[in-house]
Amino acid sequence: MIDIDLHLHRGSFALDAKLRINQPVVGLFGPSGSGKSTLLGTLAGLIKPDGGRFAVDGDCLFDAAQGIDLPAHQRRIGLVFQDSRLFPHLSVRSNLVYGLDLLRKQQRRLDLANIVELLEIGHMLKQHPHQLSGGERQRVALGRALLASPRLLLLDEPLAALDTRLKNQILPFLRRVKEHTQIPMIYVSHAINEVLHLTQTMAIIEGGSILAHGDFHEVIKDDRVLSLAHSLGMDNVINAAVSEHNSEFGYTLAEHNGHQLLLPYFDVPLGAAISISIPATNIALARTRQVGITIQNQLPGVITAIRQVDHRVLVSVNIGCLVIAEVTAKAVHDLGLAPGQQVYCLIKAQAMRYLGASAN
Amino acid sequence: MLASLLDFTPAEMAALLLSLKVAFWCTVAICVPGVAVAWLLARKSFVGKSLLNSLVHLPLVLPPVVPGFLLLILLGNQGLIGKWLHQAFGITLAFTWVGAVVASAVMAFPLMVRAVRLAISQVDSGLEAAAQSLGANPLRVFFTVTLPLAVPGILTGLMLAFSRSLGEFGATITFVGNIAGETRTLPLAIFTYTQIPGGDAPAMRLVILSLLLAFGALMLSETLERRAARLLAGNGGHDRY
Repeated sequence: MIDIDLHLHRGSFALDAKLRINQPVVGLFGPSGSGKSTLLGTLAGLIKPDGGRFAVDGDCLFDAAQGIDLPAHQRRIGLVFQDSRLFPHLSVRSNLVYGLDLLRKQQRRLDLANIVELLEIGHMLKQHPHQLSGGERQRVALGRALLASPRLLLLDEPLAALDTRLKNQILPFLRRVKEHTQIPMIYVSHAINEVLHLTQTMAIIEGGSILAHGDFHEVIKDDRVLSLAHSLGMDNVINAAVSEHNSEFGYTLAEHNGHQLLLPYFDVPLGAAISISIPATNIALARTRQVGITIQNQLPGVITAIRQVDHRVLVSVNIGCLVIAEVTAKAVHDLGLAPGQQVYCLIKAQAMRYLGASAN
Repeated sequence: MLASLLDFTPAEMAALLLSLKVAFWCTVAICVPGVAVAWLLARKSFVGKSLLNSLVHLPLVLPPVVPGFLLLILLGNQGLIGKWLHQAFGITLAFTWVGAVVASAVMAFPLMVRAVRLAISQVDSGLEAAAQSLGANPLRVFFTVTLPLAVPGILTGLMLAFSRSLGEFGATITFVGNIAGETRTLPLAIFTYTQIPGGDAPAMRLVILSLLLAFGALMLSETLERRAARLLAGNGGHDRY
């Protein structure tokens, strides 16, 4: 249980963040300059807030009224930065054990061997950070933060500096960390699909305030959140299990809630749980099942909500889970779409992006 | 030719050894305070910071005889502090080689501080934040992150201080005089030879010796810095908090 109520003024910027978190992983989502990094800085004890209170699992780390302000090095709040911040003069191994060595035996929740295995970084222990690729550096930074056994791990856009291919390599590790360590995490990002890959629980921050907090499909019922999410690129993430490979026709089948999804061929073992990202703009809607069309995926579902954002319309469809399709107001009008109606979500195989295996 | 160049008289040899001794102890003496003041100036904001900064840098812009004279007034046997040092501890600084160390330390201090301050301010403070978040207290952050990453700058500072001390003249001669075997360092010996008939040849030998020493010190510092920089390579990133 994480209890945040912090405020701070810096020139024209004001942070006023109230947030109570019970879920293991929360995505903190907001545009640039919304106060995400500032909030993380105050949680970590690196920026002093003007007032408020912050407690983790009942331990008060900051309370302006009672004059409590635990220094950063006593908070045990882990940080993973966008720019990894590995110590350049230390080997990977020394980087990893930097925080671990400062803990008493009974405080250690993870050991080096576990983390090395979990993050697959055993072969680079003797190297120095400048010899690693960007993705490897982030894995080491993640391991270093975890080994310090934090009570809360803050991830500040850890993938923002990486290209898509590397992101897809790291996401599964984050997923593993979530499942294996039970360390609560706040994951900051402005990429919806990254966050959805890890968790459905999101807190939306804008202009220094938390607009909404809860399940993604619940929070986007708030129009301010919806328009914000929309402006940053609405994305759907579907979890599925690989059921078949066909190398002759170059496709892979994955099962989701009884639906079969046809994806471009990619090399993962049969049965593997995967996450697939589908931008809302890449989902078309049809009232009937289409024939004579190259689009390979037609998923039946029921419209649960239709909302207009600017000049576009976002249609929520329940296909076993909620997905959001972005269409024009004209299309909604022409097809006479309304909540409760049965529609087919048309998704090109090529429009789906593989986000990495979601579990073992 | 070269052999005769290196064939030193006992007096010349004494001047050389004294210079090295004074420069060595000067460097040792300012090492810790130099790094401490540089860290304060680079990383902390406090009342009186610009005053401290000016005080440290004064010897750079004053004629060296001025600090020398001030030292004589403060630390001379009749001086405010010198008298007390003599009575309480039996320490005499004026006209001794230890006084020469003090004089050159005062003159070399700003060079040391400048080099180290620059090096510390270039250490990514984001790395220090990362170390804190991993549980390191400020002292540990300094010794395990800031200090090692500033090592090239510290080496530069030490070498500059050493070289400055080898060349110290004005403050030294004013504070501790020109006593053969006690305070007559290389520059003072060169000056002395130029003041006596037939002294040009020995003066020239000591000039060449000074050149070689300074050159050697600079070369050595270059090499050490390059090696240190290579060890620390790969540092990038930017500061946010």
